[in-house]
Amino acid sequence: MNAFSTIATVQAKRTLRDPAATFFMLAFAPMFAVAMGLIFGNDPLPEFGNRGYLDANLVSFAAIIVVISGLIVTPVDIITQRESGALRRFRATPLRPVVYIAADVVVRFVISLVSIALMIAIGTLAFGARPEGNLVGVLLAAALGILAFLAVGYALSAVIPSQGVALALGNVLVYPLIFLSGAAVPLSVLPDGVRRVAQFSPLTQMVQLLQGLWAGETWSEHWVPLVVLLGVLAVATAAAARFFRWE
Amino acid sequence: MTAAVRCTDVTKSYRDLRAVDGISFEVRQGEIFGIVGPNGAGKTTLLECIEGLRTRDTGVIEVFGMDPERQTREVRERTGVQLQSAALPTHITVAETLDLFASFYAAPADWRPLLPRLGLEDKRNTYVDKLSGGQRQRVFIALALINNPELVFLDELTTGLDPQSRLAIWDVIREIRDGGATVVLTTHFMEEAERLCDRVAIIDHGRVVALDTVPALIGSIAAESRITITVAGTPPLDRLRAVAGVVHAEQTGDQITVRGTGARLAQDVIGALAELDVPMRDLRTEQATLEDVFLALTGREMREGTSA
Repeated sequence: MNAFSTIATVQAKRTLRDPAATFFMLAFAPMFAVAMGLIFGNDPLPEFGNRGYLDANLVSFAAIIVVISGLIVTPVDIITQRESGALRRFRATPLRPVVYIAADVVVRFVISLVSIALMIAIGTLAFGARPEGNLVGVLLAAALGILAFLAVGYALSAVIPSQGVALALGNVLVYPLIFLSGAAVPLSVLPDGVRRVAQFSPLTQMVQLLQGLWAGETWSEHWVPLVVLLGVLAVATAAAARFFRWE
Repeated sequence: MTAAVRCTDVTKSYRDLRAVDGISFEVRQGEIFGIVGPNGAGKTTLLECIEGLRTRDTGVIEVFGMDPERQTREVRERTGVQLQSAALPTHITVAETLDLFASFYAAPADWRPLLPRLGLEDKRNTYVDKLSGGQRQRVFIALALINNPELVFLDELTTGLDPQSRLAIWDVIREIRDGGATVVLTTHFMEEAERLCDRVAIIDHGRVVALDTVPALIGSIAAESRITITVAGTPPLDRLRAVAGVVHAEQTGDQITVRGTGARLAQDVIGALAELDVPMRDLRTEQATLEDVFLALTGREMREGTSA
């Protein structure tokens, strides 16, 4: 087998064999959908414009795993491997860094996307949530969000000195971002000032793109989040490519 | 024959410390070449410069005529590396690890025959994070051989191994050399250098203080060896004192003690006793070692490291 597919296979096995990684990257979103479905159901409610709780919120849960995977799981794993010397051992072979990174990103990307697809499947099939828009568009937007935050994770791994700092910084970033995104708490219940600040978060933009597409709105109505996510992807990729190091 | 490795005036400094301070030598194809010296002498820095893992400050390094900093991938395809400090990805088995690293090379070896030679045959499906230190070290040696390298770099290869595994690994290293490959290893373990290396460079404070075969290095310091033999009867000691290199001979009870110099001392003393037809048993020799060579050349004990 060639290096790309071998690395991808190994990274997939490593993730699936690590209970914590499997939980956060694969099982968390579907389980969150089940929990919210059991608690709130999907009966029409006036505060959601006579849509059900899951109709209005299901797709926004994707943001939680996207940001945890990108800003905590990915940097912690990369930095742990760098600190232990595992990446250094790769450096002593003819392996091109770009092949390693591409295979690693593809595995993380596919696992997150599968997780989001499972979450949507559970919400629609088990709890009757129904998208007004095109599900392919929703998954495309999720894919863009996953890539953007993975790129941020790689950029953070390049500049963060140690696993401890990665964990601390990840937690400091992730929980405010989730809170401000509308994924856990609807933005409508937050004060005006907080809502305005929240608009500067790329995660909030991602949630608005997902919710808009789910509700049947068009990409052109949501060009701002699209531009923000593409911008984050471009800047973070450039930073990761510039600063990535094996040791 | 062309050199496998050629270093010319190589230097590498870390801030104020000249870790490698003007080193030149050649490694011939097909030999086991040892770089020995105390901890902190600059062995690993030098080796990592040759491997292309560190950027030298000045000097020229050629590996098969290529610069490891410029033609890095070509050099890596043809060389195998065992690092002094490294780790492996967690949650994968020994077999998966070897398959993973094999996939990085254009022409990987079949790693399966390596496992029994390294005593790892029953560890194929064990996670590498569950291996003992010695077992993990043997996996790193397997990784260094996974591309059928023409040149193998081994940095403190038997650190953490028990004596039995150490002997087995030495056999593997000799087989690699006998198969036509070149081996460059560092060690601070003198017995390893004496038993394994065809030629040895002794490094201290980033400089080569001596370079030769082990017998030549030991011979060069003219240190005395001591031979004790239990004999029947009282052979004429004058015959022993006449042997070339003998400095002193005496008999206490049934034991003869001879001190002297030269690589042929033991051989010649035994030859003299055999000519006299003296029954002998319990032959012991205490010879100068590379540690004595280091002491003679630097005035310091090897184990003191850089503290002196």
